[in-house]
Amino acid sequence: MNKSSSRRRAQIGEFWRRFRKNKVAMLGLVILIVIVGMAVFADLIVPYSKCVEQLGADKLQGPSLRHWFGTDELGRDLFARIVHGSRNSLMVGVTTSLLALLVGATLGASAAYFGGMVDNIIMRLIDIFTCIPPILLSLAVVAALGKTLRNLIIAMTISCIPGTVRLIRSVVITVAEQDYVEAARSYGTSNARIIFRYVLPNAMGPIIVNTTMMISDMILSAAGLSFIGMGIQPPRPEWGALLSNAQSYLFTAPYMLFFPGIFIILTSMAFNLVGDGLTDALDPKLKD
Amino acid sequence: MSDEKKLLEVKDLSIAYQTDLETVHAVNHVTFSLNQGETLGLVGETGAGKTTTALGIMGLLPKRTAKITSGNVYYEGKDLLQCGKKEMLGIRGSSISMIFQDPMTALNPVLCVGDQIAETLQLHNAKHLTREEIEAKVDETLELVGIPKERKKEYPYQFSGGMRQRVVIAMALINDPSLLIADEPTTALDVTIQAQILSMICELQRKYKTAVMMITHDLGIVAETCDKVAVMYAGEIVEYGTLEDIFTGDRHHPYTVGLFGSIPSLTRSARRLQPIEGLMPDPTQLPEGCAFAERCRYCQEICRTTKAPVQNDHGHLVRCYFEGQPFAGEED
Amino acid sequence: MTKFVVKRILYMIPVLFGVAFLVFAILSLTPGDPGTIILGVTAKPENIAALNHEFGFDQPFLIRFFTYMKNLVLHQDMGISYQYRRNVWTFIAEAFPYTLLLAVLSMIVQSILGVSLGIFSAVRQYSTLDRICVVVALVFASIPGFWLGLMLIMFFSIRLKLLPVFGAESLAHFVLPTLTVSLTSAAGTLRLTRSAMLETIRQEYIRTAQAKGASERVIIWKHALRNAMIPVVTSLGTGFGASLGGAIIAETVFSIPGMGRLMVNAINQKDIPMVMGATLFLAFIFSMIVLLVDILYAFIDPRIKEKYKNGGRHRE
Repeated sequence: MNKSSSRRRAQIGEFWRRFRKNKVAMLGLVILIVIVGMAVFADLIVPYSKCVEQLGADKLQGPSLRHWFGTDELGRDLFARIVHGSRNSLMVGVTTSLLALLVGATLGASAAYFGGMVDNIIMRLIDIFTCIPPILLSLAVVAALGKTLRNLIIAMTISCIPGTVRLIRSVVITVAEQDYVEAARSYGTSNARIIFRYVLPNAMGPIIVNTTMMISDMILSAAGLSFIGMGIQPPRPEWGALLSNAQSYLFTAPYMLFFPGIFIILTSMAFNLVGDGLTDALDPKLKD
Repeated sequence: MSDEKKLLEVKDLSIAYQTDLETVHAVNHVTFSLNQGETLGLVGETGAGKTTTALGIMGLLPKRTAKITSGNVYYEGKDLLQCGKKEMLGIRGSSISMIFQDPMTALNPVLCVGDQIAETLQLHNAKHLTREEIEAKVDETLELVGIPKERKKEYPYQFSGGMRQRVVIAMALINDPSLLIADEPTTALDVTIQAQILSMICELQRKYKTAVMMITHDLGIVAETCDKVAVMYAGEIVEYGTLEDIFTGDRHHPYTVGLFGSIPSLTRSARRLQPIEGLMPDPTQLPEGCAFAERCRYCQEICRTTKAPVQNDHGHLVRCYFEGQPFAGEED
Repeated sequence: MTKFVVKRILYMIPVLFGVAFLVFAILSLTPGDPGTIILGVTAKPENIAALNHEFGFDQPFLIRFFTYMKNLVLHQDMGISYQYRRNVWTFIAEAFPYTLLLAVLSMIVQSILGVSLGIFSAVRQYSTLDRICVVVALVFASIPGFWLGLMLIMFFSIRLKLLPVFGAESLAHFVLPTLTVSLTSAAGTLRLTRSAMLETIRQEYIRTAQAKGASERVIIWKHALRNAMIPVVTSLGTGFGASLGGAIIAETVFSIPGMGRLMVNAINQKDIPMVMGATLFLAFIFSMIVLLVDILYAFIDPRIKEKYKNGGRHRE
């Protein structure tokens, strides 16, 4: 037991060494840390009052020393709104992905492990969900439940469950078919032990990679939903909502479009970079 | 050595795999030769550098990581390592063919076997055969390797392992190559199938006077098929000679002795198997002296510090200070 | 093969029924009733009640659902839109061609760009152009579609005054929307094609082909591409299906009167028959496309064809 946990630690060390060598992935990680830091310490960077404070005299001002990213049509400071908006954008992306992972892992792993009837019922239900384009599903759910942050998260989670269930089911099936699992079974290892000691650790790689990429997707979708007015509602700052707002000032204040967009791209890209880096580090043979 | 015309001559070949983190010295100063119609067995355990040597000859080493650090590969007097890309394309598959270890993965799953066999012919087609002639030749080759020609429209997944290996062999032989490199052609097959495939290779070889480089870790296969044997260890040839030299001669490299101790025998009286203790040295950090020193029963201080010279007894070469000692003075 | 197709089409019936039930159930959670929505909260309660009765809204949920399904299946009747009080189908028939055109154009650009650059990138792995492709693809995969759309408008329409911005009157109106949809998705296709090609090139049979003396061109086009195409075809197929229903954002940005706008509008107005009709229609189209992709597999990979022959349903 002790031996295997130290081996696990050695594996993680080896994995980290490979990841660290990948400069692009490290860049992603650094961007990610900066953006997460910005979300966590938003109040220290700029007080929340700054994002709701309406300066009548400073409407639609371009970037300046006073307002780094300019101001919106109500004279609110865009830098403050972007910094505080990162909380909502990141939170929606991360929570949605983790929830989808939780539900997806439970359903997908049960389908794969129990097979037969359970598998059939779960997968046929998933087939139904798969037929509806994800954004439509989110829209319908938000429309039904009402436009709140909580409902947005529920809606987006539902829309990405089908993909997660399929992924986890196939990963678990692949791992469960491996010889070492067969071997463990043959010398009488219990089901629970097989799942937790053999199947899950070995299925973890693709699942972590996929979750990282999913967060990136979810940040983009959340922005999209906010953009068409179905996501986070004003005056709460959120990057997609900022862009939606900016659309009306396309001609007069293009900077309103530029800055929130750059932050969405950077965040989404950082998750993608880290995801790519994880893939390479987990599977070094892909490199040659 | 022999006066016969040498078909393949590998001289001082060294190959290393270079990655960001380390350099793997896979093949180190390997020298051997092969005459027309002859069979050379390249023997050694997994990781000894046999396949890398073969890929080096074929010019199929992974481009980014593998580097040929020294040596020449002469084929009919021409140095293959100096050949251009185009020239190598013309040689591969027509003059030199290769059979790979695992027939389950060696065939393209989406093309039918007939097309895959015909492809080798079409790619070279020196005789400007027409489509019908190619088809006829494919049928003929299929029959030759024991596959009914009606099956040529079938796909690899419809064939068993042994049958797939026959397809691979048909692909390799359809152009009547003068050299066939067989990389563990039967390792992945059932024992009964192994014998069939081996005897088929030998029969075809005799029929077409093809030289064969047989890569294997199975001394039984060597005994049945080879004229000459090269024993590889940690990227080096530690012993080289005729089949008789290796199997009946009384001076051997300790590693060769160890190999024989590791296989069960029916003729010798029942003894316990004697596995070679220990592991092959890390190819990223090969020892200064003899690579086998760590596992050798006869190891002396000198073995650890300096590489033994090759002892030559009428073409039977042994790279060892002690087992080869009676022949000292004939070093090359 | 026929057996497989028939089986799959039969299987679509319960799935679509499930979709209908699911959407119907979600939408009936929506607060409000058609009478209030159409007449407004200030209308007389008896008028509202009368209208609700006309729409059958006073019936219990299951009865309403089965009435809807009965009309749909027996009379091909999708019901009457709450907002416009006209048959839902007329709106779908009007909107769908725009969406279809946008989806087809985007699909063409996306596959040409994504697949060709993906192959190129994989074949010349680690070359400068490969690195550029990888970086550009990564950036584009991280750009929200609507932001790209707005940037394109700013650049091509406002700055350069080259292209029209809003509407769908001419093909020129479709240039920017097509770019918006296809550039971001081409990035995904490029990444997928590249990794599938790299994976394939590493297979044993590629080395066999090299040992036969096949040139790089033959190896890529004859041996690698077909094997690498299976995941790419899947992703292009489902992507096409999704963009039929999911080009909502591009349609909103560019004011194209397609299915997406129809849906957003209907959802905002709680126009349940419209949402039902459009969703079912799109789900049907989507299932058909998935089926087509599965049939396409059989032509790419003989092993899958064999599976179909045995009547087995293709599973992920």
